[in-house]
Amino acid sequence: MKILINVQKMFFSSFLIALCLIYTHASVTDYISSSDLQRLKTVLFTAHSNLNFSNAYYLAKGFTTVKEQVPLVVHLDTCGYLHGNFNNDLNPEEIFYALSTWSLFQCSNPDILHKLERQTPNLHTDTTVKTLKQALEKDEVNTTFIRYALEALTLIGQSIPNTDKIANILETALKKDENFLSIGHALHAASLLGNAGKFALTHVEDLVAQADEVDGRILQWDGGLTTTGLLLTGILRLPGAKPLTQIQADKFATYLLTRKTVQHPRGVVTLIDSAFALTKSGVSPVSIGFIGSSQVVGDNPKLKIRVSDIMGQPLKPAPSTVTAQSATRVTDDVVIISKQPLAPAKDATEFILTLAKVQPGQYRLSITAGSDSASLIFRVLGPVTLNWLDAGLGDADGSSAPRLTKLNYPDKLTSVLQADSSQHLIVRFSLSHSVHQPFLRLSADKREIIFVAEQDSTKAYKIDVNLASELTYSAVFDMELILGDSIMSNPLRWSFGSVDVKLGVSEPKQPIIRGPRPEIKHMFRPAEKRPPQVVSMLFTALAAAPLLLLLIVWLKLGINLSNFSISSLTFHAGLAGIFGLFTLFWLKLDMFTTCGWLLPLGGFTFLAGHHVLSKLAKQKKV
Amino acid sequence: MMRLVVFLVFSIFAAVRASGNTLVLLDHQVIRETHSKFFRYLQERGHHLTFKIADESGLHLSKYGEYLYDNLIIFAPAVEEFGGSLNVDTITQFIDEGGNVLVAGSSITGDVLREMASECGFEIDEEGAFVIDHLNYDVTDDGQHTKIVVPSTNLIDAPVIVGNADKNKPLLYQGTGILADPENPLVLPILTADSTAYSYIPEQTIKEYPHAVGKNVVLIAGLQARNNARIVVSGSLAFFSDAFFSATAQRVKDEGKTETANEEVALAISKWVFKEQGQLRVRSIKHHKLGEPTPPQAYTIMEELVYTIEIDILKDGGWVPFNADDIQLEFVRIDPFVRTTLKLKAPGKYEARFKIPDVYGVYQLVVDYDRIGYTHLYSTTQVSVRPLQHTQYERFIPSAYPYYVSAFSMMVGVFLFSFVFLHYKEDVPKTKGE
Repeated sequence: MKILINVQKMFFSSFLIALCLIYTHASVTDYISSSDLQRLKTVLFTAHSNLNFSNAYYLAKGFTTVKEQVPLVVHLDTCGYLHGNFNNDLNPEEIFYALSTWSLFQCSNPDILHKLERQTPNLHTDTTVKTLKQALEKDEVNTTFIRYALEALTLIGQSIPNTDKIANILETALKKDENFLSIGHALHAASLLGNAGKFALTHVEDLVAQADEVDGRILQWDGGLTTTGLLLTGILRLPGAKPLTQIQADKFATYLLTRKTVQHPRGVVTLIDSAFALTKSGVSPVSIGFIGSSQVVGDNPKLKIRVSDIMGQPLKPAPSTVTAQSATRVTDDVVIISKQPLAPAKDATEFILTLAKVQPGQYRLSITAGSDSASLIFRVLGPVTLNWLDAGLGDADGSSAPRLTKLNYPDKLTSVLQADSSQHLIVRFSLSHSVHQPFLRLSADKREIIFVAEQDSTKAYKIDVNLASELTYSAVFDMELILGDSIMSNPLRWSFGSVDVKLGVSEPKQPIIRGPRPEIKHMFRPAEKRPPQVVSMLFTALAAAPLLLLLIVWLKLGINLSNFSISSLTFHAGLAGIFGLFTLFWLKLDMFTTCGWLLPLGGFTFLAGHHVLSKLAKQKKV
Repeated sequence: MMRLVVFLVFSIFAAVRASGNTLVLLDHQVIRETHSKFFRYLQERGHHLTFKIADESGLHLSKYGEYLYDNLIIFAPAVEEFGGSLNVDTITQFIDEGGNVLVAGSSITGDVLREMASECGFEIDEEGAFVIDHLNYDVTDDGQHTKIVVPSTNLIDAPVIVGNADKNKPLLYQGTGILADPENPLVLPILTADSTAYSYIPEQTIKEYPHAVGKNVVLIAGLQARNNARIVVSGSLAFFSDAFFSATAQRVKDEGKTETANEEVALAISKWVFKEQGQLRVRSIKHHKLGEPTPPQAYTIMEELVYTIEIDILKDGGWVPFNADDIQLEFVRIDPFVRTTLKLKAPGKYEARFKIPDVYGVYQLVVDYDRIGYTHLYSTTQVSVRPLQHTQYERFIPSAYPYYVSAFSMMVGVFLFSFVFLHYKEDVPKTKGE
């Protein structure tokens, strides 16, 4: 029975929580902070360096919306530009930009008029009004021009004639061109037409339905910030429209806040304008978030929470109570807070949640401010202490107990561990809390190997490195312990010593894949060894010796050549010719030329020789 | 006639634009705005960007066998399947035919991107994994320590890829880790994490060894395929966002904020991946014998050869001379016989002189310039080298003088002896008579 009651209680409480969730709705977490505005302003100033009617308007509109003063130079430049360039031939859009800037920057101020040497305080003349009214009556006018003509007329306090007829023209123009921009301008125009503009209400529902949803948290219209801003301001401006639900408004606000990095003056003005339009509407999104960091350290941490609209202004009306509904630890759902009201701080947007002593961890906080709620994540950081660390070497077969050395942070091992392939490197340590990153890093030069420690049953961490299988070459490795966790306030990187691992394999050389390769010089075959010149000269002399000896002997003995006759000279000349030809052959002629010469020479010498011999034979007979 | 002129004008216009046609695939249109700076820089550089939602039907890379785009940007981490005819196969084929691809993932990278990355030699960590660094996270981190601050010194040492950003400016990164195959020579780890980082699912305790730990965690990986197509895969889409471009980084343990170098690095990487950087070409090659103006039909062994090559690099859309001091020339017959560094003679003009080896055959003059970030420059010129002609050997060798002398002494001897033998008159009878 008791159990049943308990179950009933549980059911009831969960029903209450569910009810709570239905009753409140999620808020946005981001907002346009003052630093964001500062950046947006610098973007706006870029319009000053490139003045034209639209940029002048963005400057004036942007700064006036955020209620900021511009430097006098910018002010004067802008007014001066309008003074010098305004004429009645401009299109309605430009006329509106000019007139609007003139009034936003209060260029009709006597001081400025004096500086500009201008007599009339008004930029427009009667002709301007006429031009604008004519623009409204043209057949081929588009919604943009209708809108700006109406805006300009309203701005200079002219009554709009014949609103029904203009509404008709507007509807016709809208039918002709039904893109988002055209509809947007039509919405703005219709909002200026009073009762005659009511027809535009029919478009609103369709429009909202056409918005694209991204990731279930963003709503936007195709075409970016300009289109979304134009349509959003348009539907919010239309009197009598209740266009958006709170959830849709929040999603549009989320989209606008993602565009805080916009880089163009037009975008800045659209962003600020739309954000303001949202805050002024009945569905102003509530922004709930942390001020500063979502991480706290210490025993009684204070969380600063901001509750504001998306422009960072206090909510109006102020939320009745801001309460922390619950805070639970993400890992094990332990509840640490339930229904604790937040203390308001000096600033109207700031609320403070003081936590009792809590364990470090990640917590989910649920906040309600009036009818808005937010689920936020915060972290309580705490230090993790290293109780002890043992490092040393053990045998692979576990035959003997490992020799471990105890170390205290931040000491180092006094000596380098000497290890070989049969050993294991063992590191054991104990921490006050478990951490996400219990790593051991071994590094040598640029290479590193990281090991993850495992927790054993006693919650102590252990790393056992089989050196032979984990490492591939010998080196002196630096040992480093890396401890880190998202809730650890003192992440640690401790180099506690080094180990000299000898595996008998030295570090392999990295092959060059890219980069210059070693140069190659061709090794020419060395010349064959030759005897020294003296030796060859000696043998030259020896080879020449017999002939020389013969000549010397002949000279000494004297030779009787009285058998000589002139006619035998032909034979000797032939023989000398043959030898001469051989010499030439050796020096430069080739075989064929030599043979060509040798045939006649040889024939001649043969005949001459025959003649000489027969003559000699005859002489002998005589 | 007018129509024809208009058509011609349009077709010329189209041809000009086609040089930088880029298809951008997005998860949703918001990315176009959150990354507007990056896209605007691309457009300013002359890229014609076509934005499409990644699973939109009717996506095509090619039409009638012609590619519609030169480059592909996939900024759609969550995409589960591409629309139209796009899939891993067509993208791989696009790369095979020289297309460049830039992919950015995040912790929720979909399977199709994972599969595509593995085709290119990278492995993106499993879904939900972030690169975590408990020691180097940014102060604006939301508590998971996934918005990490990476020093610019972790960038690959190749200014042609990552530009010349100030090394003191850090980089902001938030996303998943990539595992690159260290054995694959074509893969380039453009940005790696610190030793203290690891890639894992933040909410889960580490049961299995993380896929990538320490310096092995590649944050941005690049690849230049053998056909010079370039691919960059980043584990972080936020790396390219306007928010990170204009953010200031501050590591928790440091004092003071510093500007990030994300903008410079992202732009440099985009220039590289779309081949606006580091593209080389050979303008001319000349070779001849020393002292002669034209190349011979065949070189003879041991002659002095002079080789000149002109190399250009693409810069801001035009070819300008490329200056380097590590370009090498190889003289190859199966194996290189000579490898020498080319000397820079004038801007972009290199020369090498060397003596042809004493081995004859058909050789190639090879310039193989493959450096990180540059396109692979490979140029070969074939020349034949023949042995010495018989007239080209050495004459009058001193060691042979005895042979010369003996031959000539024999000839002279024969001549003299025949003269004496024929005309000698014995005067022996006279003496007998006495």
